[in-house]
Amino acid sequence: MLPLKWISIAAALFGASVASAQTRLTGAGATFPEPLYKRWVAEYQKTQPQITIDYQGIGSGGGIKGIIDRTIDFAASDAPMSAAQIQLVGGEQNLLEIPTCSGAIVPACNLPMAGDLKFTADLLAKIYLGKITNWNDPAIKKLNSSLSLPNLPITPIYRADGSGTNFVFTSYLAAQSEEFRESIGIGDQVQWPLGQGGKGNPGVAAAIQQIPGSIGFIEQNFADQNNLAYGSVQNRAGNFIKATPATVSAASAAAQFQGPLLAANIWNHNADNAYPISTFTYLIVYRNLNNMRSPQQAQALAGFLWWATHDGQKIAADLDYTPLNPAAVQRVSEALAGLSYRTNALQRPQ
Amino acid sequence: MSQPTPRPSLLTPDRILAILTKAAASTILLMLAALLIILTLAALPSIQTFGRNFLIGHDWRPNEIQQSLHAQSGQTEIKILPPSFGALPVIWGTAVSSFLAILFAVPLSFGAALFLVRATTRWLAEPISFLIEFLAAIPGIAFGLWGLFILCPFLQQHIEPPLNAAFRAIPGLTWLSTTNALSGHDMLAAGLILAIMIVPIITAISRDVLAAVPPAQVQAAVALGATWWQTCQEMLRHARSGLFGAVILGLARAAGETMAVAMVIGNSNRINLSPLAPAQTMSSLLVNEFPTAGDLHRSALMEIALILLVMSLLFNITARYLVVGKPPQVQTP
Amino acid sequence: MTPSTHNSLAAAKSRLMFALCALSTTAILALLILAIATTISTGAHSLNRDFFRLNPIPPGMDHSPGGMRSALLGTAILVTLASLLAIPIGLLTGIYLAEYDTTSHLATPVRFVCDVLAGVPSIVVGILGYELLVRPLGSFNAWAGAAALAFLMIPIIARTTEEMLRLVPASYREASMALGAGKAKTIFQIVIPAAAGTVTTGIMLAIARAAGETAPLLFTTLLSQSLNPNQPFPSLTVQIFDYATGASRPQQSLAWAGILVLVSLIFVMNLGVRLATRARR
Repeated sequence: MLPLKWISIAAALFGASVASAQTRLTGAGATFPEPLYKRWVAEYQKTQPQITIDYQGIGSGGGIKGIIDRTIDFAASDAPMSAAQIQLVGGEQNLLEIPTCSGAIVPACNLPMAGDLKFTADLLAKIYLGKITNWNDPAIKKLNSSLSLPNLPITPIYRADGSGTNFVFTSYLAAQSEEFRESIGIGDQVQWPLGQGGKGNPGVAAAIQQIPGSIGFIEQNFADQNNLAYGSVQNRAGNFIKATPATVSAASAAAQFQGPLLAANIWNHNADNAYPISTFTYLIVYRNLNNMRSPQQAQALAGFLWWATHDGQKIAADLDYTPLNPAAVQRVSEALAGLSYRTNALQRPQ
Repeated sequence: MSQPTPRPSLLTPDRILAILTKAAASTILLMLAALLIILTLAALPSIQTFGRNFLIGHDWRPNEIQQSLHAQSGQTEIKILPPSFGALPVIWGTAVSSFLAILFAVPLSFGAALFLVRATTRWLAEPISFLIEFLAAIPGIAFGLWGLFILCPFLQQHIEPPLNAAFRAIPGLTWLSTTNALSGHDMLAAGLILAIMIVPIITAISRDVLAAVPPAQVQAAVALGATWWQTCQEMLRHARSGLFGAVILGLARAAGETMAVAMVIGNSNRINLSPLAPAQTMSSLLVNEFPTAGDLHRSALMEIALILLVMSLLFNITARYLVVGKPPQVQTP
Repeated sequence: MTPSTHNSLAAAKSRLMFALCALSTTAILALLILAIATTISTGAHSLNRDFFRLNPIPPGMDHSPGGMRSALLGTAILVTLASLLAIPIGLLTGIYLAEYDTTSHLATPVRFVCDVLAGVPSIVVGILGYELLVRPLGSFNAWAGAAALAFLMIPIIARTTEEMLRLVPASYREASMALGAGKAKTIFQIVIPAAAGTVTTGIMLAIARAAGETAPLLFTTLLSQSLNPNQPFPSLTVQIFDYATGASRPQQSLAWAGILVLVSLIFVMNLGVRLATRARR
């Protein structure tokens, strides 16, 4: 009878999942590096077919929550964990935050001249505060006098979910605009006075595609993949910089990693050529991997982290993310050497 | 030879079945209890922190803000505003989108129900009823897709610009217009897609309720010379509590719908009087924000889920009483 | 007003209202046809063999976005697991409400709560699943998803089973009892077979509902491309949601194809239910 057949299929699958030699890992978090991580996972699985890794982009906030709750094996976040969050896992010594690459957050717009627009932090803050509501506003014209800006209302698009991209963008604006800092503030999720929300980087990209005159902050890769044009942003040195691997590199080159957690904030960097809204993106794991179920799983995760920060860096460059520079790779390798499975040491990769 | 009467064993099939069925039935009660208890426990921190302000507060702010106050003495103090959660914008969102859904759906549904009951023959009513029931079975994600890719662009390009202009032009209706760019992702879109979703339910129940009006009532009206519409009015009046119950059930479905709304409403946690501005409902807020970290934030979201649950329970209980629970009316000649 | 004017006014109004009612019905059907036609024309585009054969492929690796094989299998497994839980509990509850009603104080509250539970928003059920079966187990998983779906299916199965069993004439039961059969034997060998066709339709409706749910799965199974029940699990509805809310056109086309498959499945099940019910008359 019908139910019996389905019962046996289910039992077989369950049995297969328990008895198989497959080692499985689950990761979740930022949508910023999602295209890269999904590609890494696919490539890594080709080299290690007995390992299956699943990565889902649910937002940096979701990833951090998952690692705190131990519902996932590794988390991905653009924002380093906050002090309060670190407290929830018992302190810095229990975690490792590994930068995997850096990238740029770009102001993509749905306008014909979007690629030529020049922005300052003050301008962006005012747009998101609702103080500048139309593209033909004098403040925008002053900066972009060579462009003929239309009489079109500006629709700011923001992230509806908890997001490291949001954290970086609000940090950048708060550092330069007191009004922004004091009315909206910094966070994974903040309260925006106007505009429309999209879910994840893809959702924001979709919203920008749909609304003429909209502006949204998304990771550069999403903008390029979906043919959304973005302008240049003024950095601390006063130059208008467009996001490219070179300009992001300029921001990440002199990154000072603080403390055992290897977190470094690289936005608003003062180098001449630095793109001002750059960020590292991190993979977060427990230092003693005690949320792993077996030594094989711990070894698999350590192996993947090693591969991603070494062999995987070439792929990062292909997808328009900025790879780690040699000094960063050195620091990361040292940190990864500190991973253990509970109290046992892990095999060092070649 | 007479055998002694065997003592009844405790584990006869009858006894086993009685125990199993009773256990299964008790599971139903357990399920409701679990919902209420678990959600209340999870929402407790938020209830205790925010109290009544949760229901009337405007601000949904998951992050803390540091403000520097320049005191007159010339010193700068740092004032820290902790995260604050006020659910009024999403309660408003759910209420208005459901209200709009009812506004659009009820005339269509009652009209279709009357038509099915009083104007069609069997061979026409059957397939139409089947199609309407099929529409009722289509899941919310399908409506979400239709809303996102068909309705919203259509609204954005053809309906909302003239509508907005009309609102602005008509004195007394200017408060319905908006100065934002029109994206098609707003309260109006949510109301329309919800209306299409609940039309089948209201139609099906109304049709059943109207069909249950005693034929004697209908024939009496016709005998007295009533027109088709006047007879319909009699039927509507007679069945009004059941019809009201149908509307409440539709309202409950609209208020609880998640996917269709989340994809078209614009995700803006603000109260805006214009239906042409983006908004947020309780369920779309949960979809967007639940995966985030933060204990107080999650507790606040649990409180929203609790409000949603209690609201749907109240609607369903009311509707059940109206549609099913009333004793049949006995008409005295 | 002379009677004749009044009558012709009323008659005109009646004709107008009749036309409006006819228009309402037509409008509803027209909307349905528009929606289905668009689904078929847009979805059929991407509904090729690859859709059923391939798993989703991350963008940038290949030109095609792949297919939804994992999602289809995922939904099939989730609904099967949910049915394993929901059908026994639902059937037994339905039997209780139909056959033990007069001898119990439990029946009235259970019936009431059943109806009320059927209207609970599915997102709330998903949140319950997260609190009870995701956090304690340490990960999103298929069991929590199946349990959430079962939660939604049980009231439907219970109520339709009860109603169908009630339709079986009392004489069947009385005859069976008179011949010496116990209650259990009567129920399983006489009453249920008599109502088997229609009880199955109730189960099919519940399965169709479970297959179409998205919100509860978002909080219990999340999404993945691999079929490990102890980890995030794929499902058709969540995969559609993921692809539809992104900006990639190929992925959006896949979402349309997925909706076409889902809606077709529900159509077939509803048609089956309708035909079965009509055959019973």
